[in-house]
Amino acid sequence: MKNIVLKLLASMMLFAFVFSANAAASEHAATVAADAPQASKTHKEENYQSKPFSEMITGFLKSTGIVALVNPRPDEMSATGQPMSDFHKGAGRVIMILVTFLLFWLAIAKGFEPLLLLPIAFGGLLANIPVAGIAGEHGFLGVIYQMGLSNEMFPIIIFMGVGAMTDFGPLLSNPKTALLGGAAQFGIFGTLVGAVALSQAGFVDFTLQQASAISIIGGADGPTSIFIATKLAPELLGAIAVASYSYMAMVPIIQPPIMKALTTEAERKIKMSTLRHVSRLEKLVFPILVLVLAILVLPESTPLIGAFMFGNFLKESGVVERLNDTLQNALINITTIFLGLGVGSKLAADQFLVPETMFIMVLGIIAFSVGTAAGVIMAKIMNLFPGTQINPLIGSAGVSAVPMAARVSNKVGMEYDRTNMLLMHAMGPNVAGVIGSAVAAGVLISLFQ
Amino acid sequence: MEKGNFMETNLVMEGVKFMFLGMGTVFTFLIIMIMCMNAMSYIIHRFFPEPQSNATAQTTGGAQQQDKKKIVAAISAAIAHHRQG
Repeated sequence: MKNIVLKLLASMMLFAFVFSANAAASEHAATVAADAPQASKTHKEENYQSKPFSEMITGFLKSTGIVALVNPRPDEMSATGQPMSDFHKGAGRVIMILVTFLLFWLAIAKGFEPLLLLPIAFGGLLANIPVAGIAGEHGFLGVIYQMGLSNEMFPIIIFMGVGAMTDFGPLLSNPKTALLGGAAQFGIFGTLVGAVALSQAGFVDFTLQQASAISIIGGADGPTSIFIATKLAPELLGAIAVASYSYMAMVPIIQPPIMKALTTEAERKIKMSTLRHVSRLEKLVFPILVLVLAILVLPESTPLIGAFMFGNFLKESGVVERLNDTLQNALINITTIFLGLGVGSKLAADQFLVPETMFIMVLGIIAFSVGTAAGVIMAKIMNLFPGTQINPLIGSAGVSAVPMAARVSNKVGMEYDRTNMLLMHAMGPNVAGVIGSAVAAGVLISLFQ
Repeated sequence: MEKGNFMETNLVMEGVKFMFLGMGTVFTFLIIMIMCMNAMSYIIHRFFPEPQSNATAQTTGGAQQQDKKKIVAAISAAIAHHRQG
């Protein structure tokens, strides 16, 4: 009996203790809670007021894209934080969205460099969305741009991948065709003169930096164009990249008429001797050789040439197949996605729908044509000297656009002689053109240091 | 620099200067590169010929490459033919 009473007492005491502890805890919680609701209440009251339902609906309707396009908000800023005109906020965006649809069509239906044009065009579509600010500093396109374009990282990585895909064998077996790749760079510098002449004449106001960035389109090398544009004239990047990639896709249309106009039928039928075998050691030494030359002659060009030769060296070493494979496939694909979206962010209406864009498009195609012509003419000049004859059709491959330009040379050559295989011969000037435009880029950068 | 009026009158001349310097550098670089490539090929063929023991393997490799080139050429010929026809 006594035992039971003791147990009861003990359990009552335990209860009492738990209760009191509980009470203390709840009291503490109550004081904390009393602090918190007050803070959150005042916070809420600042931002949110109870409104009638009809007002909520009109408020929501005002925040739709349609209203933002038709009746632009006065406080909306461009991606760079500058005030924009109402045209660039409204109709300009609609026009740019239609332009991106046109780019989709070119990429999908016409097969114009879809790997790059599709990400660029979609980036452009996203960049022209009102209110959302995707291309702005904190939007994801803006972040991608900051991450790898404003610091020229993505073009460099692309160059590594291109290096790993390039075979210098054709160039090594016929070194003098490298001169054709040099001549085609005349497209760059000829256009540079044209661009400054235009701004001299008062049609448009290009600075020397901007003119240089535009003229590099003539190098027909996407990553190099983007590299130079972000360095010298980031405000023109969108137009330059779009011009560069769309003209590269149009190489099979632009080049043949120029090639045919500048050559005689006899010249187009010149057969070239078969290429000699190139040993593995030659291919292995070549990237290092070119890099050493770049270091000695023009260190400004080494970011591009260094990355290019790094990729090629990994490939030719033959012992790092996994890295080579990653460079050629996974890495270049990932970077292409980011590069395209980042460039697309520059297709925002306020940056693209300016008079300069039209001049960039015109100058770009002139640059391409002049480069093609210069390559063909250089081949004809080389044929004046004694030695083995060169088919001038491979001169046009001196503009980089690997391997499209070489394929065009081959195709035009076969129109006149079905047994004339120029593809491998044209790959020599083609890859030399990549080196040539990297050197030209280095010259332009060094001039503005 | 582009703002000054006295510079603006010389902008085209600046462009021409850029052109000569740029093309000069590109050609100088490529000519030196060609000479070095020829020298390199000569040295490699003279002093480091491909090992004799691997000669058969190498030649078959070369032949394979030749074959590949021929295949590429044949394919491109077929494509060209297809496009024309």
